[in-house]
Amino acid sequence: MDGPRQRVLEATYVCVARWGLSKTTVEDAAREAGLSRATVYRYFPGGRDELIDAVVSWQYLRFFGRLYEEVRGAGSLEEVLERGLAFARQALLEHEVLQKVLQTEPDVLLPKLTVESNRTVGLISGFLVPYLHEHALAPGVDIHSAADFLARMILSYISSPGHWDLGDPVQVAALVRTELLAGVLAARPAVG
Amino acid sequence: MGAVRLELVRPSGAGASSEHEAGERVPVRVRVIDSALDCIARQGVAKTTLDDVARQAGCSRATVYRVFPGGKEGVLSAVVDTEVSRFFSALAVRMGQAGDLEDVLVEGMTEAATRITRHGALSYLLCHEPEVVLPQLAFARMDDVLATASAFTSPFLGRWLDHDEAVRVAEWAARIVVSYLACPAEDVDLTNISEVRALVRTFVLPGIRSLSERGRDDADDGDEGAVPSTGRDRRTPYGGTPDTTSTTSTTKGEAS
Repeated sequence: MDGPRQRVLEATYVCVARWGLSKTTVEDAAREAGLSRATVYRYFPGGRDELIDAVVSWQYLRFFGRLYEEVRGAGSLEEVLERGLAFARQALLEHEVLQKVLQTEPDVLLPKLTVESNRTVGLISGFLVPYLHEHALAPGVDIHSAADFLARMILSYISSPGHWDLGDPVQVAALVRTELLAGVLAARPAVG
Repeated sequence: MGAVRLELVRPSGAGASSEHEAGERVPVRVRVIDSALDCIARQGVAKTTLDDVARQAGCSRATVYRVFPGGKEGVLSAVVDTEVSRFFSALAVRMGQAGDLEDVLVEGMTEAATRITRHGALSYLLCHEPEVVLPQLAFARMDDVLATASAFTSPFLGRWLDHDEAVRVAEWAARIVVSYLACPAEDVDLTNISEVRALVRTFVLPGIRSLSERGRDDADDGDEGAVPSTGRDRRTPYGGTPDTTSTTSTTKGEAS
């Protein structure tokens, strides 16, 4: 099943949930994983720093993996965006470890998250391009610029929704059809 | 954000001035703040000492303490308040001169992006000491930043939008600026006014039209409102709007 590397990541995550990012050591992770320190170093030669970066990356990708699972069955671009925004916001608020670390160690976490988030713009826009292909775009709109714009906006609304309540499906539907898609799509999206 | 101190705005607005000598009429408080900005732009927050700031300001450490009894923390907090005030004053000047809705957005977003990008101290911190600034700019704190930006800039949109729309659109414009600056795009440079104009015409103005229509539909339907209300009755959208939005490309019909 999961290799030692995965085991170390999961163990490190347990430690981070318990102690936080700064206080988790290679020794803690090794003990939690039931492996030797030497084994942990074999997979993470950079030691603690590499391990902590890896666990943040891993959790970040897992979050977006869940988001992908949530939206990939959606039938339309609007549905992808609506389901994605609502799910991601809820998942973020309910993510206990994230919320705890944001409270206690924002100075440690946020520089790492920013690096991850910048990579994610490309991932999200790549995911959206096929959906955009199914629509007539507004005149003069380049599909990749549109996907890039949407990806940035999605990341922004998920982490800081401002005055929008993403727990309210009516507001999410309005957000998608105004600030997200109004300039992107040629025709007004059908309002159910 | 502290009290807005408009008297602190420098005419040029550019980098802090090392040529402010003692004896000039620049108040010592402003000299200390500008010196701190210079120091931070050069060496960051952690390495900057009150001695550095005093030397740069051409005054004694005791003088710095007299003006800022809180010491380094006091200076830093005054620096933040002052820079926020300067930023919004400059935005106000630029947005106040705009002649239509498109221009007020384009001018405001370009000014904001340019000031943020070229801010020496902020650039240094984002690059070398992100742990100092990012906690003020993420998640719930970014919600606060967006709310502040919206509160300050929405009145300048009020000539063309009703209050609720202006508040929403101002928040959205701030969100766009932050998003593109946080992770620079290959093909969008928000310090370039023609690129900002293209972005505003493509994505923002159609969005504003749809927000207005939605708000109007809600008012007609008398329901709760699909877009969040900021607590005021709606007037007719685009009341008195100059003929600017028609210059943008759209195929959207007006029939709803």
